[in-house]
Amino acid sequence: MSVARLARAAAITVAYVLIVAPIAVVVVTAFSPTDFFVFPPPGLSLRWFVEFFRLDNMRGAFLFSLEVALIAATVASVLGTAGALFLARRRGAFATVLQGLFLAPLVFPTIILGLALLLLYKSVGMPVLPGLLFAHAVVGMPYSFRTTLAGLQGLDPALEEAGQSLGAGPLRTLALITLPLIWPSVLSGWLFAFIVSFGELNTALFLTGPGQTTLPIEIFSYLQFQGSQLVIAAASALQVGLIILMVAGIERIVGIARIVRAR
Amino acid sequence: MTGRRELWRWGLVAPPLVISVALFVGPLAYLFYVSLHEVSPSELYGSWSLASYAAIAADPFYLLIIRRTLVTALAVLALALVIGYPVAYWIAKLPARARSLALLALLFPLMVSNVVRAYGWAAILGRRGVINTALGGLGLTDGPLGLLYSPEAVVLGLLTILLPYMVISIANVLASLDPRYAEAAQALGAGPIRTFIHVTLPLSAPGVASGLLLVFLLTLSAYVTIAVLGGPQSKLLVSLVYDSVVSFHWPQAAALAFTLLAIALAVSGAIMAVVRPGRVQGGRR
Repeated sequence: MSVARLARAAAITVAYVLIVAPIAVVVVTAFSPTDFFVFPPPGLSLRWFVEFFRLDNMRGAFLFSLEVALIAATVASVLGTAGALFLARRRGAFATVLQGLFLAPLVFPTIILGLALLLLYKSVGMPVLPGLLFAHAVVGMPYSFRTTLAGLQGLDPALEEAGQSLGAGPLRTLALITLPLIWPSVLSGWLFAFIVSFGELNTALFLTGPGQTTLPIEIFSYLQFQGSQLVIAAASALQVGLIILMVAGIERIVGIARIVRAR
Repeated sequence: MTGRRELWRWGLVAPPLVISVALFVGPLAYLFYVSLHEVSPSELYGSWSLASYAAIAADPFYLLIIRRTLVTALAVLALALVIGYPVAYWIAKLPARARSLALLALLFPLMVSNVVRAYGWAAILGRRGVINTALGGLGLTDGPLGLLYSPEAVVLGLLTILLPYMVISIANVLASLDPRYAEAAQALGAGPIRTFIHVTLPLSAPGVASGLLLVFLLTLSAYVTIAVLGGPQSKLLVSLVYDSVVSFHWPQAAALAFTLLAIALAVSGAIMAVVRPGRVQGGRR
């Protein structure tokens, strides 16, 4: 039995080290004072963060990513919440198909979706920003849909029925009863959609344009064409920092247990 | 009154439905339509033709890449399951609060962009990376080892990026299992190993299936990880889709995309047939 226990301890250690190590190395490197990659860094400095905000393309990509993620997550939340409200109490074949359709982008190879949208956009002449917003709204919608649906299914239907029997129409019931009760789910869905958009690579790979590039794509093109400049470590660390803030936000709103179950 | 309520309900579902059809189903149908045409030097596509699919089936280079894609995916799946299952088993047995924290430690890296995590591995495995510096410093190697730009680096990168999906899928199912099943087996005289093989493992089939499916499907489209860690020598099918797009061969890119989807469907079917998650009825707490 002790061999089995040893093997399990090894698997746990290996798993967590493999998962966390690459992110930890990048974040530590971002504070390096050296010109090139040295690990562990001989000291600490913020020079690469200063460099990040001095470079127009990096700062531009960061702001563009923020803009895309803010709008796309909002669109995704509106769509996902509407879909969840419709499907929360519906059964049958149509509801099953619809649910599958709304959740499909979670498992569908997104690079193919990116290619399909690129061809569609090329034939209708879609500009870069709305095209990318639509793509990220489609990719983010399932996250909002799923968390909101879970929130709605935990809701006592008697509360909505009470509102309706007292004469409130569907819109008033939604605004005064349903939304105030499920807003933590809606908000955590929004945060998930934001995080997904902010780190998204596969559709953005095809849908960004010159001067309108998201931060992950900018990091990728630096990795491919500019060698290992440490400014991409700073860019990566900023990404990680922003996600830590968002997760802390979700934790405050809905609690840790809900974050873990929402995925 | 009920009529108005029905109208309202359809008004709710119309926006997400229209967006899903117009920007998900529709574009994919159009992509399939494009794949059935010739490559054209000036337009998006030329006249009707199955040439792009025929080229994929006939060219040994494509077949080599498809085989390499399958071998890579299989290696990632096997490693993810072997490492992920014990971790999930451990997490499922933790008290609620510790379990949430352990899952959050796996969930957080999933939120970090894959390009950041690929860059991390490039920094660890590169010629001046962490491992080569450490080995050189200890005097164990004469010069830097070429760890990066290899199939092994791609497997390692994909494995670590996708391992959390496997662990979380299995842990969620294991944590919701009714402990009385295992207790009953032990009361009837089964040892811990027999209980695990005959009771716990089959009951966790839905988690294993969804973990395998997620890891496999995400392996197929992880272009950036493959490009950063594999370099030009270790291309997979998704890299060829990208290359065709960059060279504006739209019908070829579309045909490769549907080849990728066909493989995704076939392997997903095989996973479901082997793991048979549907055999578990109930079993939840």
